[in-house]
Amino acid sequence: MKKKVLSVLLAGAMAACLAGCGSTAGSDNGTAASSDGSAKVGAVRLLNGKPEIDSQLQELAALYKEETGNILTVETIGGDTNAADELKKMYQADNMPDIFVIEANQAGTWDGLLANLEGEAWTNNTGFELVDSSMGTIGFPYTVEATALGYNADVLKAAGIDASTLTSYEAYKTCFETLDAKKDELGLTAVLGWCAEPANLGWSSGTHVFGQYLDAGLAADDTTYIDLLNDGGKVDEARMLNFAKFIGLMNDYSDPALLVDGTYDQQVAGFKEGKYAFITQGNWCVTSPDDVAFECGFAPYAFEDGIDTIIAGPPSYWVSYSEGNVAGAKAFFNWCAGDSAQNILVNKAGLVSPFDDCQYEAVNPFYKSMKTYIDANKYSGWHTMLKKDGLQNVTCVVFSDYAQGKLDAEGFATTMAQVISSYYAN
Amino acid sequence: MREFSTGRKITSFGLMGLGAILSVGGLVLAIMKLLDNFRGAMIIGGVVMFFVGLYLFPTFKHHRSIVNVIFLFPLLFAFAVTVIVPLVLGIGYSFTDWDGIRVRGFIGLENYIRMFKQPGFLWSVLITVLFVVFNIILVNLVAFLLALLCTSKIKGLGFFRAAYFLPNLIGGIVLGYIWQFIFSNVVTKITTAIMQEQTYSMLSETKTAFIGIVIVYVWQYAGYIMLIYITGLNTIPGDVLEASAIDGASPTQTLFNIKIPMIAPTITICTFLTLTSAFKQFDVNLALTNGTGSVQNFFGNYLTNGTQMLALNIYNTAVINDEYALGQAKAVFFFIVLAIVSIVQVRVSNKREVEL
Repeated sequence: MKKKVLSVLLAGAMAACLAGCGSTAGSDNGTAASSDGSAKVGAVRLLNGKPEIDSQLQELAALYKEETGNILTVETIGGDTNAADELKKMYQADNMPDIFVIEANQAGTWDGLLANLEGEAWTNNTGFELVDSSMGTIGFPYTVEATALGYNADVLKAAGIDASTLTSYEAYKTCFETLDAKKDELGLTAVLGWCAEPANLGWSSGTHVFGQYLDAGLAADDTTYIDLLNDGGKVDEARMLNFAKFIGLMNDYSDPALLVDGTYDQQVAGFKEGKYAFITQGNWCVTSPDDVAFECGFAPYAFEDGIDTIIAGPPSYWVSYSEGNVAGAKAFFNWCAGDSAQNILVNKAGLVSPFDDCQYEAVNPFYKSMKTYIDANKYSGWHTMLKKDGLQNVTCVVFSDYAQGKLDAEGFATTMAQVISSYYAN
Repeated sequence: MREFSTGRKITSFGLMGLGAILSVGGLVLAIMKLLDNFRGAMIIGGVVMFFVGLYLFPTFKHHRSIVNVIFLFPLLFAFAVTVIVPLVLGIGYSFTDWDGIRVRGFIGLENYIRMFKQPGFLWSVLITVLFVVFNIILVNLVAFLLALLCTSKIKGLGFFRAAYFLPNLIGGIVLGYIWQFIFSNVVTKITTAIMQEQTYSMLSETKTAFIGIVIVYVWQYAGYIMLIYITGLNTIPGDVLEASAIDGASPTQTLFNIKIPMIAPTITICTFLTLTSAFKQFDVNLALTNGTGSVQNFFGNYLTNGTQMLALNIYNTAVINDEYALGQAKAVFFFIVLAIVSIVQVRVSNKREVEL
């Protein structure tokens, strides 16, 4: 009898535990009650894809609640976990956040599931929102990033090089030769910190550096080469060959110990320590003024004469799930574009604001240079994010082979064309 | 003859009926997304009630079977939810254009036809087979030699056994990154110093990177297989070895004519384990090379997935390239190949054991 009573008790306890779990999960979905009891738009869940700013977003959520009474729950995913993949699991489990992060080329996957944010107040203060031809305004730009050839302005100055003249292949060639001749004097290990290692840095070569072929020199809304690419994987042969020659120059003057086998940490550390005059990364590689003891700047990938733009724009966007709390998401976006939220995002998270009316200047050491380009309208779009998913894993290997000397410039251009067309065909 | 009381019958049928109603009702509410706070309790309570009712079912003849079913149910349920249902769903998805979110249409065998037209996929199949062959031989050879060493009379046996087994306790991802550091930062420094010119990591060249993966895999897995061989070698009766020694058998004769035939079942287990494990190679592959590496001319194509094994190819197709249905089709193909190879291998090994 005792055993039976015990069994019933244990079974009951198990049922209570499981039922308890169910009810806890369910309680999050209700409309949030504010601390002051005023009418609110309900709780909003945000899936953040940048783990490095998680604590700042938690602070943002606390401020949002304090100022509006609305609840924002920030869930962060990142590192080695793919946010897009995780979101699909969340969707299948009927556990979608109200706001989540996407890259521009992922919009099609969520076709019909994203809210149209057209006409919201914040859209009047930025030109960086994500607009889809069929879904309308779908993406809130929470930051702007830029990528080009980052340089150590102090080193260039000491070598007598004017960065503003770096707008052609020949100018770069002369610049690299000068720096190379003065390496010891300037304390450089190599002219350039460029790494074509494909296994861990394929995103850099395959997406960002390759993106220069697509956009360098074009206006922000010019989609000539991405359209060509997405039309069955076509490339402009002449432009690709010029790009190849420029990459060849980079290969010649990069640190041999970094070029093929290096890591992101080695590349960035080398630049921060003043061992490289140039680096092939964006403003994310040096985020704090404390990281460097010199002035930073950006120079264009001038593989064709006259190229004078850097690539700038939001690398990803926050979107509102149309079956979630859209009103809550819209309210948050409008608040987030405002002064108090921008203060946290710019001054504490180190992001660059995409909003014209933001009064805060980013602390990022590259910001000054970025702003110069953006103000002069000399920036191109991030259309590399619109290429077919996974293409970077193919192109990065071609960069690596070129860096190892297995291909020459013509070989690089033709191989690139072949692997891209094959990738699109399959 | 004993009979069941009416109260027992009513309790049993009542609990089963009520349990079924509650469970189904809870599921319906879950599908309709209603009553968040109660449906979990309804489902769990319903299931418990149903099984209590089943336990009290008025039968002597089938009572033992009912108890067996109740005890087996959690395991069978978990197996069905985690293996059978995903397998069936996966096969179904492979005939659609599922993108991980929605199924927009049924496309028949298109995914299966498409995957065999991908040179990169065919290359992955080819190198996976090569990898399996290399590993079955090398892992078993190294493991067996280590087992012989660890069953000999040398000093510090415990230390050696632990040392050889230790790599198996480190996860494949961590192991991959450790060896990547060794290949890229340690080995290159040594070779650069020796050659007096900049040398690149063996991971940057497809052929040598493949060898690198084999080395890491053998290093990781040989210790585990060694333990099984040690167990096998320890089960050989001492009197047989003693008799062979009295008959004047040399150590080599003892090894090939006594020990190896007598551990044939162990060899079967080890080759089976090595085969399936090598086929499913993923984590070391991901961490060490991420499948990169060029192949200049594979049926006229320049491939960029030189070291990408089948499992990684499936993962990349689905998750990185966002083609979940195509990935599923490849996974179904993978499952069929693995099932056939495993069955054939076990059958052949068992037959050989009988002959031995």
